[in-house]
Amino acid sequence: MIESLVELQNIGKIYWRGDAEETALVSATCSVKPGDRIALVGPSGSGKSTLLHLMGGLDQPSTGSISWPGLGTCENLRPQKVSYIFQMQSLLPPLTVVENVELPLLLGQIEATKARKAALETLNRMRLNTIADKLPEELSGGQAQRVAVARALASRPQLILADEPTGQLDHPTAQHLFDVLLDSLEGSETALVVATHDQAIAERMNTIWQMQHGVMEVVTC
Amino acid sequence: MLRTWFKGILTYRPGRLLGSISGVALTVALLASLGAFIASAGASMTQRAVQEVPADWQIQLSHPSDAKAVKAAVGKATPYTALEQVGYADVKGLIATAGGTVQTTGPGKVLGISAAYRANFPLEFRQLVGANQGVLVAQQTAANLHVKPGDRVSIERVGLPPSEVIVDGVVDLPNADSLFQAIGLPAGAAPQAPPDNVLLLPDAQWQRIFGPQAAVRPDSVHTQFHVRIGHVLPADPAAANQFVQQLAHSLEARIVGRGIVGNILATRLGSVQADAAYGNVLFLFLGLPGAILAVLLTMAIASSGANRRRKEQALLRIRGASVQTIIGLEAIEALIVALGGVVLGNVLTLAIHRMFLPGNELIGKSALFWTVSASLMGFALAIAAILYPAWKEIHHSTVVSAQATVGRGRKALWQKVYLDILLLVISGVEFWRTASTGYQVVLAPEGITTTSVNYEAFVAPLCFWLGAVLFSTRFLEGWMSGGRKILARMLNPVARELSGVVSSSLSRQRLLIVRGIILVALAVSFAVSTAVFNTTYNAQSHVDAELTNGADVTVTGSIMSAPSTRFGELQALPGVAAIQPMQHRLVYVGNDLQDMYGIDPQTIGQATNIANAYFVGGNAQGTLAKLSKQPDGVLVSEETVKDYQLKLGDKINLRLQNIKDHQYHVVPFHFIGIVREFPTAPKDSFLVANRSYIGQETGSDASEIVLMRAKGNPEALASRAKTVVSSLAGAKVTDINSTQRTISSGLTAVDLHGLTRLELGFAVLLAAASTGLILALGLAERRRTLAVLAALGAKKRQLGAFVWSEGLVILTGGSLLGVILGLGVAEMLVKVLTGVFDPPPEVLSIPWGYLVLLAAAAISSTAAAIFGTNRLFHRPAIEEMRGL
Ligand SMILES: Nc1ncnc2c1ncn2[C@@H]1O[C@H](COP(=O)(O)OP(=O)(O)OP(=O)(O)O)[C@@H](O)[C@H]1O
Ligand SMILES: [Mg+2]
Repeated sequence: MIESLVELQNIGKIYWRGDAEETALVSATCSVKPGDRIALVGPSGSGKSTLLHLMGGLDQPSTGSISWPGLGTCENLRPQKVSYIFQMQSLLPPLTVVENVELPLLLGQIEATKARKAALETLNRMRLNTIADKLPEELSGGQAQRVAVARALASRPQLILADEPTGQLDHPTAQHLFDVLLDSLEGSETALVVATHDQAIAERMNTIWQMQHGVMEVVTC
Repeated sequence: MLRTWFKGILTYRPGRLLGSISGVALTVALLASLGAFIASAGASMTQRAVQEVPADWQIQLSHPSDAKAVKAAVGKATPYTALEQVGYADVKGLIATAGGTVQTTGPGKVLGISAAYRANFPLEFRQLVGANQGVLVAQQTAANLHVKPGDRVSIERVGLPPSEVIVDGVVDLPNADSLFQAIGLPAGAAPQAPPDNVLLLPDAQWQRIFGPQAAVRPDSVHTQFHVRIGHVLPADPAAANQFVQQLAHSLEARIVGRGIVGNILATRLGSVQADAAYGNVLFLFLGLPGAILAVLLTMAIASSGANRRRKEQALLRIRGASVQTIIGLEAIEALIVALGGVVLGNVLTLAIHRMFLPGNELIGKSALFWTVSASLMGFALAIAAILYPAWKEIHHSTVVSAQATVGRGRKALWQKVYLDILLLVISGVEFWRTASTGYQVVLAPEGITTTSVNYEAFVAPLCFWLGAVLFSTRFLEGWMSGGRKILARMLNPVARELSGVVSSSLSRQRLLIVRGIILVALAVSFAVSTAVFNTTYNAQSHVDAELTNGADVTVTGSIMSAPSTRFGELQALPGVAAIQPMQHRLVYVGNDLQDMYGIDPQTIGQATNIANAYFVGGNAQGTLAKLSKQPDGVLVSEETVKDYQLKLGDKINLRLQNIKDHQYHVVPFHFIGIVREFPTAPKDSFLVANRSYIGQETGSDASEIVLMRAKGNPEALASRAKTVVSSLAGAKVTDINSTQRTISSGLTAVDLHGLTRLELGFAVLLAAASTGLILALGLAERRRTLAVLAALGAKKRQLGAFVWSEGLVILTGGSLLGVILGLGVAEMLVKVLTGVFDPPPEVLSIPWGYLVLLAAAAISSTAAAIFGTNRLFHRPAIEEMRGL
């Protein structure tokens, strides 16, 4: 049996806002295996982002248990093994495209010249080499998001968690971004979990997890 | 909506709100307390001037018979607390026979005073030997005549036979200059030297002797009224001066033709006015940069919320708020800041006043003026700092302002027109122009009672300051964009594998970073220049006091009862670090009687500081060595050299009094150097020679002065020395501390301690605020960046690399620049205020202790800001992350 990258067991998450408690996740049990393509869908506030944060080790669950059998411990997931793609513009404004892309590699203690080489390779592969020296403020929304994808791919992670990566883009641009992302992952063992409201995108994944009021129902295609 | 907004401000922007309030409060407190200090310094100057003047007015009568009418006129012109009639008579000379020899003096003056005079004008006399009533002879005259109480002196009247009196006592006339001043001379006339020979008689006796002389030679006898006026004067020296002059004018109008008013109080207030003007100059130089800095800080704090403000405004507009509503809401924030800042600022001022200027009341017109002006300034600042950016936000495209902090660099207008270079050039030219004509900040032409500040002298330092700041900005921006590799290498120890990325990031945010550096530099330079100037000033006022007093402790006496006879006992006193005898004789240079000091050139420096500035050529050691090599060498003052057209090496014949026959005999000297100042010596003309040579040529090696350097407290040593010389008639012991307290000429007399502590305190506060606060606010603005980094997997140390690098670049860059700028300003300040120092300081004094304290404040404030930020990102910032 293939080892899971991440396993969640009856995960619950409660946020405290002053005295009022807010239940973001009631119960979620699931696992991600290498090569998985998972879409996380559900209405706003149903707990998608919360789940992604927990899977990436950014936050701790209130109840239940979470483990990363194929990746190690919570502390060494990022930047090498798990990458994030965010909905909003998340490139660092004072850094150029290539500097943004090499950042996770540098954070992972990769030597500067090697990091730069890997970053440029990734950009080449995604045909972004022409904008390598531009600043984020000089990019279009679609370009910026493609750079964010490149940044997530550069360190060759085993798991990519994307939280509505196309939320700010128009439909054709969103589709194009996904083409690029899926092309890049073609044939690799890297698993992808995407939270999305876009039905078209969800249908291109091989698994769909449906969220409703913090409860998960797994739908396999 | 209003209430929600209000709550919103308080809950979501407490940092910015509190920061802005503190900035406004600091500005208000700085301005108000500096203003109050200047006002109270002016008031105490006025008060001291009034106390120091021996007699406020000396009214010279045209004829003695006008006395009654003039007295009545005085009473109408002003209330007075004392009015004394004094007779002045010129005499051909005084003769005394003592010890078998006959002593004759040149022309002199004999005064007739009432028995009450001494009590009414206590500063005119000091009793030395014998009685303090009856026939009194001035100390110098007694020395010339060799008389003591009980001896007879014959007065050679003008146009009449001599008349004989018996001496009752010997007195010192410390204020002879004003006592004998010529009244009614046109302004600008050279001041007259007081007479060498003076005798004081009770008024009845004076009438008996000089009534007849007035009849035969009315021009040789005068009558004066000495008046102490009874008005409460305005606190400000200039206002007091004007007031006193108006009183005198009104009196002169009443007694026109019958008398002239010698307004001594006004003259004194006039010179104090110059000191007060210097005080204002200091305020401008030292205080204003601090106030400007506080303003800039407030602006920086208020604008630090730009991104958030943009979001809030967008939200409000989406919800349908009009531009007016938004401005209205921002105005409420401005009002909160203004009110809070002004109230806090005034509370702070009160506290500061209690702490630093105890005993001075904050009430009074000028203090009130300062409080009100400072509060208005605070209000204006709050409105400008908060409303202006909000207004700009609404009227400009948000993209432009968003790009202003990061980018490939656009040049500001001042950079395009090279304003910085222009300012530096102007400063250079202006400095050269003013320096070539001698730096005079306060213009007090002699004889004219008004003083004015020469504001043109400020152009150079002001342009230098502005130009240097702008040029540094240009330079730093250029360096941060071009010198990225060097920056990366410098950051390597902190940022390690991230140094390249961090330096790129800093470089592209250079506008922000440079702004931070400049703010820190301004704060540090404010602190450094203030501290260095103050320390130099204090050191100089010590030098000034030492020069006046002679040494830490100085014993003075006369040749007949010379302190050198107690040399052994004095030397044995505990607390004596070094001791030196010094002769003080009178010598005739041509017809001028001058002071001559006899020293051991090789050892005099042990007991007192002999500064280079004392000698023309600026070499104390060399000049003294030259003197010790040439036994008959003499150092002459500049004035005498000019008057007698002396050349180095010239042989000059001086006349010194011999102990055996009490006659003046010619003694040859060789002129070997020019002396400007010397311990205990008068300002104008005096000579310095070898003690052994003078002793040999005059038959007495007695020393009238003994100089002592104290190991501990000079005052304690002085009181021990007093008991040693108590049996010596007329011997006086003075110490440097009391002298420093009572020196009354020049700005060095102004006690700057209060101002010093005040400004140094503010400087530390400002330095801490500009390092820590600005950094913290800047980092808060970059929460998002840090959140992204954390999400990407940056470890604590790596987040720290970003934060620490920024903090260190700002701190070290700002400190370095600030120290350079501060030393430059201090140097320039000393140059500009050269007129204050007499002699000017040789080097700047560096207050190391304070600078260490300052560095500690800046570093710990930076560290606090960074640790605070780190704590904020220790746990993943989920809140921030959700927006990503
Ligand atoms: N830090 C937090 N503090 C308090 N409540 C939170 C926090 N984060 C999330 N929640 C709450 O938890 C619930 C789930 O939020 P979550 O962001 O996971 O939803 P989502 O499915 O991602 O929604 P969307 O599609 O709008 O992004 C929401 O009701 C939200 O208000
Ligand atoms: Mg979400």
